[in-house]
Amino acid sequence: MAATPPQSWEYLETLQGVELHRLYRTSPPSALAIYRKLLSGLAKHYVTSLLFSPTPMPVNHFELVTRVDANAEKVKAFNQLKKYNIVRETTFQGKRCISIVPDFARSYRRVLDGRGEGNPFGQVSSPPQSATEPTIEKLDAHSQRQWDGILGYMVGGNVIQDLQEPGEELPAPAEAVVELLRVGHLVTVGGTQSRGRYAMGITAEGFAFVLQNINTQIWRLLFLYVEAAEQLNMDKIDVLSFIFFIASLELGLAYSTEDLTETQLQVLTTLSDLGVVYLPDNTTDYFYPTRLASTLTSDSSDTLSSTANKLSSSLHTSSAQHKKSIAHPGNPTGSGFIILETNYRLYAYTTSPLQIALLSLFISLRSRHNNLVTGKLTKASVQQAINTGITAEQIISYLSSHAHPVMRRHAAAEEAILQSRAVMAAAANSGGTTDIENNTGVTQIRVPVVPSTVVDQIHLWQLERDRIQTTPGYFIKEFQSEAEYRACSRYAEEIGVRRWYDDRKRMFFVDQIEGVAAYMKDRKERASGTT
Amino acid sequence: MNTTTSNKRLIAYVDSGQSSSGEMNAVDATDRAATHQEVEAPSLLTIILDTNPHAWALLADTLPLSKAVANLLVFINAHLSINYANRVAVLASHSERAEWLYPTPAPHLPNNNGDNSTVQPPDDANKYRPFAQLEYALLTNLQTLLRTTTPASISSSPSTLLAGALTRALTYISKQSLSTGPSQTGNTSFNYSDPSSVAGGNSLNPSDNVVTSRSSQRLTTRILILSVSGDLSGSYIELMNTIFACQRLSIPLDILKLSGSATFLQQAADTTGGIYLSLTTPVQRAGLLQYLMFAFLPDPAARENLVMPGETEGVDFRAACFCHKRVVDVGFVCSICLSIFCEPLGDGTCLLCGSHLSMGNYGRKPVVVARVKKAKTGTGKKRKVGDGVETPGSGGGGTPVPPG
Repeated sequence: MAATPPQSWEYLETLQGVELHRLYRTSPPSALAIYRKLLSGLAKHYVTSLLFSPTPMPVNHFELVTRVDANAEKVKAFNQLKKYNIVRETTFQGKRCISIVPDFARSYRRVLDGRGEGNPFGQVSSPPQSATEPTIEKLDAHSQRQWDGILGYMVGGNVIQDLQEPGEELPAPAEAVVELLRVGHLVTVGGTQSRGRYAMGITAEGFAFVLQNINTQIWRLLFLYVEAAEQLNMDKIDVLSFIFFIASLELGLAYSTEDLTETQLQVLTTLSDLGVVYLPDNTTDYFYPTRLASTLTSDSSDTLSSTANKLSSSLHTSSAQHKKSIAHPGNPTGSGFIILETNYRLYAYTTSPLQIALLSLFISLRSRHNNLVTGKLTKASVQQAINTGITAEQIISYLSSHAHPVMRRHAAAEEAILQSRAVMAAAANSGGTTDIENNTGVTQIRVPVVPSTVVDQIHLWQLERDRIQTTPGYFIKEFQSEAEYRACSRYAEEIGVRRWYDDRKRMFFVDQIEGVAAYMKDRKERASGTT
Repeated sequence: MNTTTSNKRLIAYVDSGQSSSGEMNAVDATDRAATHQEVEAPSLLTIILDTNPHAWALLADTLPLSKAVANLLVFINAHLSINYANRVAVLASHSERAEWLYPTPAPHLPNNNGDNSTVQPPDDANKYRPFAQLEYALLTNLQTLLRTTTPASISSSPSTLLAGALTRALTYISKQSLSTGPSQTGNTSFNYSDPSSVAGGNSLNPSDNVVTSRSSQRLTTRILILSVSGDLSGSYIELMNTIFACQRLSIPLDILKLSGSATFLQQAADTTGGIYLSLTTPVQRAGLLQYLMFAFLPDPAARENLVMPGETEGVDFRAACFCHKRVVDVGFVCSICLSIFCEPLGDGTCLLCGSHLSMGNYGRKPVVVARVKKAKTGTGKKRKVGDGVETPGSGGGGTPVPPG
């Protein structure tokens, strides 16, 4: 099996310390993005408490400010911080201390206080006041078109072409993007490179990819691009910092290309192919970031789903769809188009060929109407999807993120009923007011948007196939003494990385080595120090 | 090396036959919502900046207002950078009015969210745009506020309108929570007609409070008060009402006291589960930013993992009387409406609810009945017989005599 390229954000973990330092030093937006997107809540707090501290803080200080029962969280936070080269251990006045890496601290402080120079956050340019200035809707449409083109290409051009109406063809993705998909093992392109569009096939990873949310997808491609940068004679840190720079810009404003380097201009073209930025046709003096760009570093599900909704609403171009969405006034938390009943029947209010093609991956479609597609989740259709590499989780998350407001309202109402029942658990027998079809969640307040019977069944269908579960990790064995085995094993369990153990053979298996390794080293040093 | 750690990454195969119970568990109800827990809930931080000119004049040597505001801005930026969806609102509690500093209220459209300020800041490519906009709006509004303050209004009131600012903050928080929360259903707000919920707001067991047991997706909110003014007893009732409202809505009130007495604000932090810190020396005030970043930046979710600083010991629980606004140790309480008075009422009518109150035998010396059984020497003097004597403070009934 070929080496799998790193999935999305894990790519950053593969960077060398020197490269990360250079990224932090040259680009405050990168420092902000990594802080905001990748660190856990506790790690963020450690960074901010160190940020303006004049001296390094002793290690035991962090033990004092963290609750004892949050020890696992603490170890996780420090592993993260060390992995991304944000803090390091030093010795200060004879004590073991934690200090923040100056390159990161300087950049992040510049973000916070806004001082410094070099225009790290982009020069806003004022384009000539003409009618050609794109509105936000137009930017959304641009990114949606580009992105649909890519996904449509992956799902299979032929299927799409049969479905779509004349005059609404999706654009073919640019050569560079196709190359990215190929390098990332998302598609395989056949020998006839010139007619590559027709000789391609989607891989198992590609199937999984098309069902992910748009933010995950785009980062996957961007990191693939960063990785491929060196083959295109670009420096990967420059590319990465430019992507983070784009992510920090504001939607709807024009930014000047005046100060950009040759590399950055080259990246800009690719980003335009992906729909992340919009380049006006007639001039190269400025560019517009799209909604895809401005939400790149957001991690809240609210903003992400609103991105998806805003984009997917522009997707439904047919007027029938518009009437439909007016008839069902949208819930603020989202306006999907899929209704899934507890009897596995599915109704999708969509005319988009792409969405229909996606649905057909795991649903046996029955009929297509003016604005509606009907189908059914069957064992055969789900298992066929699982055979191609899609997981049950991906199907469920796709269904729930595109659920129709009616389903959301239903789930919310049910949740409220269950909640009030839980509150009045003492007087439970007086109720019996509403017939609730799933009675499993009395103790659990959250009701899934997708009916729980369906969720369970999809999982079961997958389990019929998956009888083995793999966890990459580290196997630790050959302990010299029982006491040492016990201490290490217990520590591994406490910080929540121990997956399997055998007390008799004195061996255990962990999925993350950093914490345990540090602990074992520490133990060894202490043991040798006392004797 | 005692232990060998294999250098290569290994793959562990767990045969489902052995751990079938674990596999089956993955299908039952506990697993369905697991993926949602990862996302951090967005947090709304409302800051009330006490701009009382008298108090800041006293602090001018050690911590001028401009410096405090600069530190506050860095703190706000840090808060916003924690999460993309985090939001902030800043209010000024001035000497005679409470004013919005950020977001700038729209002048003619009252239902506007206020997020898009009409004034655009000068373009500065060295600042993250959202931060630059906030800074510009906040400073502009603060300058407007200070410019429009007349000498007469300063001299007329030495205090600050904290209760008013808190009220405006609470309305803003309610509005924001409503607009961001998951679809609202009828029973999520506090049910005032439900007799099982205590109207006084003293029982705040989270399990019986519908408001607090909402799902994690909801906006978490908190209020930070940067207080410099001393005596707040003038608006005692209003202040306590807002504090109880915060407690009811489970909004923690964090207090950072730069000068002045602590009485009510310390109670506020204690009641609502917030953090109270007081920086009394110039050295402490010089470290304002570090205090802000360290103690007040973590949102309620992060606080669960941290040992939070703050002065929780020795909270001054004294109340102010409703009649003269004096802080009292022992007072008189109306048995109908629980109003507090510092001295017995002249005509026996409660000033607030108008109930006729009988003072009973107040002021009369208790009649000590000689005990039939002779008490032991030494302890006998301390015992009092309470029958028939009404003490207004304890609501009737004497101290129970311990069984002999």
